[in-house]
Amino acid sequence: MTETLPSSLPLAESTPAPALPADARRRSHTFPPEVVAQIQRMADEGHYEIRGWGAKRHLPTFDDLVFLTASVSRYPLEGYREKCETKTVLGTRYASKPIELDIPITIAGMSFGALSASAKAALGRAASAVGTSTTTGDGGMTEEERAASKLLVYQCLPSRYGFNPKHLRMADAIEVVIGQGAKPGGGGMLLGQKVSQRVADMRTLPPGIDQRSASRHPDWVGPDDLRIKIEELREATGWEKPVYVKLGATRVANDVKLAVAAGADVVVVDGMQGGTGATQDVFIEHAGIPTLAAVRLAAEALREIDMADQVQLIVSGGIRNGADAAKALALGATAVSMGVGPLIALGCNSRTYLQDGVEHDATADYRALGTEPGYCHHMHTGMCPVGISTQDPRLEARLDPEWGTRRVINYLKSVTMELTTLARACGKSNVHNLEPEDLVALTIEAAAMAGVPLAGTNWVPGSSDCR
Amino acid sequence: MCGIVGLHLKNPELYPRLGELLASMLDCMTSRGPDSAGLALYGDDADHQPRMEIFKDVGLPREICERYGVAKRSGYQGIGHTRMATESAVTTEHSHPFAPAENMALVHNGSFSNHASVRRRLESDGIRFVTDNDSEVAARYIAHQVGHGADLGDALRMVLKEMDGFFTLLVTTATQFAVMRDSFACKPAVIAETTDYVAMASEYHALASLPGIGSATVFEPAPEEVYTWTR
Amino acid sequence: MDTLNAGGVRLSCADLTTREINAALAELPDGAEARIEEPWGRHNLAVGLTNRITIDIDGNAGYFIGGLCDGPDITVDGFVGWSVGENLMSGSVRVRGNVSECAGASAHGGTIIIHGDASSRAGISLKGGTVLVGGDVGHMSGFMAQAGTMLVGGDAGHALGDSLYEAVIYVAGKIASLGSDAKVENLTDSDVLRVKQLIDLAGFDHIDPQNVKRVASARQLYNFDALKDQKY
Ligand code: SF4
Repeated sequence: MTETLPSSLPLAESTPAPALPADARRRSHTFPPEVVAQIQRMADEGHYEIRGWGAKRHLPTFDDLVFLTASVSRYPLEGYREKCETKTVLGTRYASKPIELDIPITIAGMSFGALSASAKAALGRAASAVGTSTTTGDGGMTEEERAASKLLVYQCLPSRYGFNPKHLRMADAIEVVIGQGAKPGGGGMLLGQKVSQRVADMRTLPPGIDQRSASRHPDWVGPDDLRIKIEELREATGWEKPVYVKLGATRVANDVKLAVAAGADVVVVDGMQGGTGATQDVFIEHAGIPTLAAVRLAAEALREIDMADQVQLIVSGGIRNGADAAKALALGATAVSMGVGPLIALGCNSRTYLQDGVEHDATADYRALGTEPGYCHHMHTGMCPVGISTQDPRLEARLDPEWGTRRVINYLKSVTMELTTLARACGKSNVHNLEPEDLVALTIEAAAMAGVPLAGTNWVPGSSDCR
Repeated sequence: MCGIVGLHLKNPELYPRLGELLASMLDCMTSRGPDSAGLALYGDDADHQPRMEIFKDVGLPREICERYGVAKRSGYQGIGHTRMATESAVTTEHSHPFAPAENMALVHNGSFSNHASVRRRLESDGIRFVTDNDSEVAARYIAHQVGHGADLGDALRMVLKEMDGFFTLLVTTATQFAVMRDSFACKPAVIAETTDYVAMASEYHALASLPGIGSATVFEPAPEEVYTWTR
Repeated sequence: MDTLNAGGVRLSCADLTTREINAALAELPDGAEARIEEPWGRHNLAVGLTNRITIDIDGNAGYFIGGLCDGPDITVDGFVGWSVGENLMSGSVRVRGNVSECAGASAHGGTIIIHGDASSRAGISLKGGTVLVGGDVGHMSGFMAQAGTMLVGGDAGHALGDSLYEAVIYVAGKIASLGSDAKVENLTDSDVLRVKQLIDLAGFDHIDPQNVKRVASARQLYNFDALKDQKY
C-alpha cells in the first residue's frame, strides 16, 4: 500500500479549524487514507501503480511460530562450544558438481539494472566471504559479479536478456526462473529511467525504454516441454551444474512435483513476500501465497513423491533473520534465499549514506521520491537515495562497495549465528536436523498454514491427525 | 501436461496393425507423461458395428500396453495419451482418454484455466463428472454439444469460445478424428498424412516409426483451426 | 563413432545417447565434419557447441536443435521440432524442411535458414540473430523481437511482429495481420540491398528483393502512457 505523505503542494490559507468532535476522524476500513490516496493516484495517472520491494500487507509469517527448545526431555548443545554444522549441499540429483555452501543462506537473484554494479559486487564479495552463493538476474551476468562471487547461480529467465552460453558455462548452477513470489505469472519490469546505455546494451534494447519482460519462456511452455529444456541446458554444460527451478508460490504442491518431474535438481519456492525491482502493486499484494504456507506445501510435495532426499528445496520471500531461516529449515527447506534483507544491510531505507568517509543525510532525496527512510519501495524509479538500486553514477557513488561488503558479511554472519543458536537450543548438532515437530504456532492461521499444532494444544487446523 | 498420439487408418490393410503402431507411438511419449497412460481403440465388431474400447492405467505406457495386449489389437482408429499429472491425482480414472459419450474419446495436452466454471455450468445442466480433471470438462462439454445436435467440428469451435487456457485436443467418434489447438497454440502438435493414414502426435518422434512416414505430408495444425477426418 | 574417409565422423542416434553424441561433437577440432544419422525426432542434438565444425543431421529431429551454439554450421535434412537454433550466438542452422514453433527464439547472432515453413512465433524474442524462412511463418512471429532480421519468403500469419522492438521483418508474401505496435514501412534502397544479401546467404531463388514489405516497430509501446490507450 502506498503511504500517504504530506503533499508538497502549497496549501490555501485558511483560518484555524475549530476542534473536531471525537468521532470526526473515524477511519474507514474500506476506504482508509491509503486507499483514498491510491484511488486519487489512479484518477491522476490512468494506470496501475508500479513499485519495488515486496508485499507490505499484514500476512501470517514465521513470526507466528515458536520453537520448542530443549529442557528435560531434550538436551541442548552448548551455545559457544559445541559445533552446529551449517554446511549445505545443493544439486545432488543429477549434477556432477553439486554446490557446496558453508551456510544454508543464499542471496537471491537480483539483476544488474535493478541494482547498481557496486551493489551487485558487494553482494557477491560478501557471499563469497561467508561461503555462500549469489544469483544473477534479468539482464545477464556482469564481469564484476562473476569476479566477486565464488559461487554464482545463473538465471535463465523468460526475457533471456543477455543470456548466453558462455556465461552459462561460467556459472556454478543454473536457475530456470518460472516465476517470482512478488509476481507469479508476470514478467519483470525495468522502467526507462534505469535503462542506461550499459543496461540497454546487455539487454539488446534501446536505452530509456520501459522494459516489460516476458512472462512465459520464448522457447517452451509447460512441464512436459520444460523437461526437454532442462536436458538442453545440461547438454550444453556437460551435466556438471545443478539445475534449479524457481517458482512463485501459488499452486505449490502441483508445481513442485512438476518441476521435479521435469528434472530439477533443486526447487526454489518464492513466497508472496518476495521482493522485486519493479512490478504492479496489485501483483505484489494480491498474488501468490505467504512463504509460511509455501514452504510446508513444497516440503510435503517432495515427501509425497519420495524425492525429499534427492531434490533440495530453497525457500525465499521475506526471510529476514536466523529465526525465519531456522523455521523454514524446520519445515523442510534445505536452504533459504534472501533479497531485500541484504539490500537493507547495504543501506536500503537507511536515513544516511557514507560517501568519502563522511555520513550524509538522504532524507531530502527520499522526500523527493515521495517517501521517507523506512518506507521506501522506489526501486523502480532508479533514484535510490542510497545508491543501491540505481544506474545513475552520481547516486551509485553513495554506496561504497567495501563498506557494503562488510555490512552484508556482518548481516549474513548474524543470521547464521541466530540460526545455530536456535538449532543448538533444540539439541541439534546440524541445522538440517531441525524438524516440524520442533515448532508450534501462536495463531490458528499459522498453525493451519505450517501444519504444526497451535501452542498448548495438539490441534493442527485442517489436518485430521493430532500430535 | 502430457503426450498425445492418434492414428486414423484410411487403408484397411493396416487395420490389423492398429494396436502395434499406436503402442509404439505411445511408448515414444513416455517422457512427456510418465504417470499414467491410456488408449481408445476403434474397430468393427462381428455385426460390422463400430466399437470403441478404452484401456488406461497407472504406470509406464509400455507396461500398460503389454498388460492389455494392445499390440495385438486391430481396428480402424485409435488415440492415446501419456500423462504428467498437473493438478489432479494420478489414478486410472484421472487418466486419459476420457469417454464422455458412446464411441467418443478425448485426449488433451495443456491446461485449461476456467474449467471449474464450465464444470459448474455443465453440472447444473445435469452432467455428471467422474474426476476433477480439467480434460474431463472439455470432454463432457463436447459430448454435451454433440448430444444437442452439434457436429463435432462445431462442438470443438464452441470449446474455443467457452474454454480458456492452453490446449491441444484430439477427439474421436465412431466416424471422425478431429484435432484442434487454442489461439496461443503453445502446446505442440504434429500431423502426418499419407494415402494410408492420418497420424497425430505431440512430437514428431512418435510418428517416426510409422510405415511410409518418409513420404507423408507433415504439418502443424494452426491455432483455432479444426481439422477433421471422416471414415 | 565411425570415421569417414573425408575426415568426417558418423554418429548414429540408433546406437548413441544424446549425451554421447553431444560430447563427441564437442571434442571435434575446428574444421571437422560430422554426420548424425537416424535422428528420428531426437531432441537437443548439437546444442551448446563452440567449435567451428560442420554437422549434418540426416533426417527429422526434435526440439532445440543447434540451441545455445556459438560456432558450428548445422544442416538438417528433414524437419525439426520446437525452437531450432534457440539462443544461437554465431554459426548457422539450416533446415531443409519445415520447422515447428519458436524457430530462432532469442537468437543473439548467427543465421537460421529454413527452406520450408516455420510455425508460430518464429523469431520470438530475437536478439540480433537472423532468421530466414523460405516458406510461410505462423502466427505471432517476431513477437517481442528486439534486434536482428527476419525474412519470410512466403506468407506471414496473424499478429506479425507484435510488440516489436528494433528487429526488422521482411515479408515477400501476404501478411494476415500485424500485431500491436508493428507497422509496414517504406522499403529503402538499403533494405533492398539487405534483402538481396539475405537471399544470397540463404540460397533462396523465389524472392524478389524489390517486392518485399518491411515491418518494423511503431515504437508506441516503448514507454508506459495510459493516455495513448496502449494495447497490453
Ligand atoms: S532505498 Fe533504494 S534500494 Fe531501498 S527501497 Fe528505496 S530505492 Fe529501493
